[in-house]
Amino acid sequence: MNQPRAVAQFNYWHELVLFGLLIGLLGLAEYLSPGFLSLRGQLYLSRHLWVFAIMALSMTLIIIAGGIDLSVGSAMGLCAVAFGVTFEMTGQLPIAIIACLLTGVLGGLFNGALIARFKLHPLIVTLATYAAFRGMAEGISQGESYSQFGDRFSELSRATLLGIPLPGYLFFVLAVLVGLFLWRTPTGRSIYAIGHSAEAARFSGISVNRIRIGLYTFSGFLAGLATVIYVSRFDTAKADAGRGFELDVITAVVVGGTSIFGGRGTIVGTVLGLLLIHETRQFVGRYWQVDELKSIVVGVLLIVSVLIYQLLVRQRETRSH
Amino acid sequence: MTRNSKTETSAFARITTRREFGLAVLIALITIFVSFFDPRFLDAINLRDILVRCAPTAIVACGMMLVIVTAEIDISVGSLMALTAAAMGIMLSENEWNLSLWIGLPATLMLGTAVGLLTGLLVTVGKVPSIIVTLGLLTALRGFTTLMMGGKNIDGLPPSLQHAAKQGFWGIPLGVWVAACVLVMTLVIIAWTPLGRRIFAFGSSRYAATMCGLSEKPLKLFVFAYTGFLTALATIVDVPRLPTIESGIGLEFELLVVTCVVVGGVSINGGRGTLLGVLLAVVLMTMIRPVLTYLEIGEEAEKWTKAIQGTLIAIAVIGDSLLRRRRRGGPRS
Amino acid sequence: MMIHSQATQSDRLLLRIDRINKAYGGVQALQDVSFEVGRGEVHALCGENGAGKSTLIKLLTGVTRPDSGSLVMNQGALPVGNVRGCEAAGIAVLHQESTAFPDLNAIDNIFVGRELRAAGGFLLARDAMRREAAELLEQLGESIDLTVPLGQLPLAQRQMVSMARAMSCQCQLFIMDEPTASLSAQESQKMLMLVNQLKEQGISILYVSHRLEEIFQVADAVTVLRDGQYVATHAVEDLDDRKLIQLMVGRELDELTVRQTISQPKSDETQKPSTLKVDQLSRQGIFQDVSFSIAAGEIVGMAGLVGAGRSEIARAIFGIDSYDEGTVEVNGEILPSGSVARAKHVGMAMVPEDRQHEGLVLPMSVQNNLTLANLRDLQDFGWLSQTRERGQAKRLIADLDIRVTDPRLPVETLSGGNQQKVVIGKWLASMPNLLILDEPTRGVDVAAKAQVHRLIRELADEGMATLMISSELSEILTLSDRILVIHQGRIAAEFEGATATQEQLLHAALVGSAP
Repeated sequence: MNQPRAVAQFNYWHELVLFGLLIGLLGLAEYLSPGFLSLRGQLYLSRHLWVFAIMALSMTLIIIAGGIDLSVGSAMGLCAVAFGVTFEMTGQLPIAIIACLLTGVLGGLFNGALIARFKLHPLIVTLATYAAFRGMAEGISQGESYSQFGDRFSELSRATLLGIPLPGYLFFVLAVLVGLFLWRTPTGRSIYAIGHSAEAARFSGISVNRIRIGLYTFSGFLAGLATVIYVSRFDTAKADAGRGFELDVITAVVVGGTSIFGGRGTIVGTVLGLLLIHETRQFVGRYWQVDELKSIVVGVLLIVSVLIYQLLVRQRETRSH
Repeated sequence: MTRNSKTETSAFARITTRREFGLAVLIALITIFVSFFDPRFLDAINLRDILVRCAPTAIVACGMMLVIVTAEIDISVGSLMALTAAAMGIMLSENEWNLSLWIGLPATLMLGTAVGLLTGLLVTVGKVPSIIVTLGLLTALRGFTTLMMGGKNIDGLPPSLQHAAKQGFWGIPLGVWVAACVLVMTLVIIAWTPLGRRIFAFGSSRYAATMCGLSEKPLKLFVFAYTGFLTALATIVDVPRLPTIESGIGLEFELLVVTCVVVGGVSINGGRGTLLGVLLAVVLMTMIRPVLTYLEIGEEAEKWTKAIQGTLIAIAVIGDSLLRRRRRGGPRS
Repeated sequence: MMIHSQATQSDRLLLRIDRINKAYGGVQALQDVSFEVGRGEVHALCGENGAGKSTLIKLLTGVTRPDSGSLVMNQGALPVGNVRGCEAAGIAVLHQESTAFPDLNAIDNIFVGRELRAAGGFLLARDAMRREAAELLEQLGESIDLTVPLGQLPLAQRQMVSMARAMSCQCQLFIMDEPTASLSAQESQKMLMLVNQLKEQGISILYVSHRLEEIFQVADAVTVLRDGQYVATHAVEDLDDRKLIQLMVGRELDELTVRQTISQPKSDETQKPSTLKVDQLSRQGIFQDVSFSIAAGEIVGMAGLVGAGRSEIARAIFGIDSYDEGTVEVNGEILPSGSVARAKHVGMAMVPEDRQHEGLVLPMSVQNNLTLANLRDLQDFGWLSQTRERGQAKRLIADLDIRVTDPRLPVETLSGGNQQKVVIGKWLASMPNLLILDEPTRGVDVAAKAQVHRLIRELADEGMATLMISSELSEILTLSDRILVIHQGRIAAEFEGATATQEQLLHAALVGSAP
């Protein structure tokens, strides 16, 4: 019988390393390109950051539970069109916002139902909705773009309090709520269990299906919320809203330490991952002034972070045998 | 306790419930319907146009089919297409390096294969899930491409290449010839080589495959390298049809290819799927846009192409799942 | 003292198993097992569940390697732990669960991995393979559609294909693991004829089966294992039903004494109300007309062979699987089919058969596993209380004597016995009044096993209604107040725990009715 040593079961190495990397990067960036760290410079450049960030919260939950959602970007397109069309029809901003959120929820519900009820592979289902949502958005809007939502609406995403834009506060509150939910509620704990072993979770009486449906619905809801911010920021609602966003969101979550296999991940890690990618992008853009390099770096970052994780995890496993 | 023996299903029932049959019927119905509307649909020119459009998708789908059979996925083929297009352009264009076709074309093929191999290595040796690898490559390769092209479009490809791609030989464009060859070659691989059988064996039951001593690394390396090679090949025969090479080439091409493969009956869960099904699905998918044009529902209808794509995947997969559960009938032991 | 079968002169000896030991996680699956199989001999292997038969098969086919001892075939050592090596040495196996490729046709199933090649080795020699496949199947007396995916063929035909594969391997030893378990009487007879056919070709068969009548029909010799140990080998003429069962069961005196120290025979003049009442529970093809009840404080043991349907019945009762007909009633309340949440709500708990994949979330900590089943109880307004979690974990660890230095360690670091205690503990925390146990001491070391037995008894004494599935007859006899024997999905017999014997139980399990 092996007596495992009571070495501190510190499970948060990944987050710690990320934090270190982030500090290192910021230091390097400021050294090589002074003025990088000015708050105004930082936040001005973060046009898309809050949109990614909000969706990354629900994506974290989904990936921890062993699933994936490729359709969040396309959901944004559909939500944007819903927003635009509703506003055009009613002229009422609140109704348009509700339509936007509702569309997101329904889309997420659809994903969840297919995955949980029909037991279909999340990759294939969300690939289908990735196409379907965007397609519906394109079809309904016919390429038209809606705008002129009023100054107050645009202010929503631009107004700042203490130098930080309102969406930043929204994200912060959401991050705290979701983080606490994941960390210390029964459902949050169940999410980890499902990610490790859905069978064992089921045997413990956890309603796996219900939780899965809830997660995808929540993802849809946050996509809708992100769309509101996006539309407010860019003052137009078009079918191509959010194109390609799913990649960045998933990258942030995975770099942030959430294992693509499920069962492992934290909101703190995701936030760090978001920051790391964001800062890397800004740094690359500012220092090398080559836009394309950003995509390359992010893509490589994604692959390398999982690669390193795999190498380390496997190393630990072979050692313990 | 006796299990119910499978009742003898009639040959008719067995054929009509197959995916290929459904697809063929669908294609036939659409063709008949549209040609009522506008007989020009059946013109040779139009048909040739549709075939040419099918070509690159069909070529890459041959590789993607094998990837999905081994329970992996490759969503980077669109970006790889852009990369190989840019490389080809730079090598062959008279405004750039102006190399000979004999150097440029093989080099392009090697580039595609190399990227495919890289993917395969990351998946088999690095144990990084293919969704992650190809997601990362999707972004990185696209960035690379834009970088390579330096913000400008490339034109000036060798006229011989352009002619072959557009008009081809004996009235049939290069793409169609190559697609036909690739289909045959893939069919031979699937049905006539040990490698092909083992790929499907692996997809069918990983457990049984290990029991037979099959190892997964060479199989997976092959399928990714093959797909990379085919992507480069598709680029060569299709891109020269365009006047210029832009960095946006191949955008969402991977979605189209995966859709064709899934709708064509290939399951990510098993060793099922036929090349015929994939081919029919390619034809079906490619037909959507021209059909919508001919039906003159107006430009509006074109915008619904992607929605139709997504719906088709969903229907295909749901139908598959329901059929599978009904066929498996009772549970296991 | 081993009684040799007729074929152990060295030139007629095919396989020698010599002092094999194999342990799995603290439990000795095979202990010092030795016997021999002759050439062209049908050698039956008998024993209860857990006697070590599957482990032996795994060793012979190269799936695992023995801890010590040797396997010698044709005077050459078998390449242990090497699947292909064993196949090359001439060992083929027909598993109970067909290890075939459901999406490939018969030809591929026979040849994958050893394809016949043409054109310089690149292409398949398809015609040659088709011809040989057809020939092989013809020899087996089957005409199968060679183009149909195997998954669409009935089980009997799938097995034929596996047999064809074995024959094409030029195998010398063909291991058949419960080959007729899911076959009709007619198909079984056909299978037995094939066995004889193979024997005539000089192939030896290691025939693992519970169907005694088949063994007497077709075997030349019988080897009996019990509790991982070798018992005896006899020529089949020297045996009959009773003697064979006796060998499998062994002596009973030990169980009786153990039983008396732990269990108190229930004097049930007072007809206690049933906690669980199962009525006519049926699921197409799995189990049929299962009806029984369990009173508070009563332990009902469920015996039967692997595959008889016991776990499936338990899972249906608990709500993991659904059923087609019948009702499940707990304390008067009828439960809907397929709802674990409802089952938990009325106080049911289940310790599943597969500890590692169903009972525990291995990478999670011991503490988190211990609280997984009753998270609702540990929260204040939706917030999980660390103190209460830790407290519950500490309490359970102490009560059940779970040996772990730090509850925050992942549960996969624990031994089998301690892991099992975690599963039990997790459920005890939810305060059930009906406890279903499926193989509660499988893979558990002796000390922990005794603790678990004591715990089960104590719980019952405190009023817990218990359904205990076990393949270990002594365990069932030790603990149960009543025993149900399941045979092919039906309740074959019911016995009083105090008076039943292992022979009776085994007989009912094998044959389907009380002796």
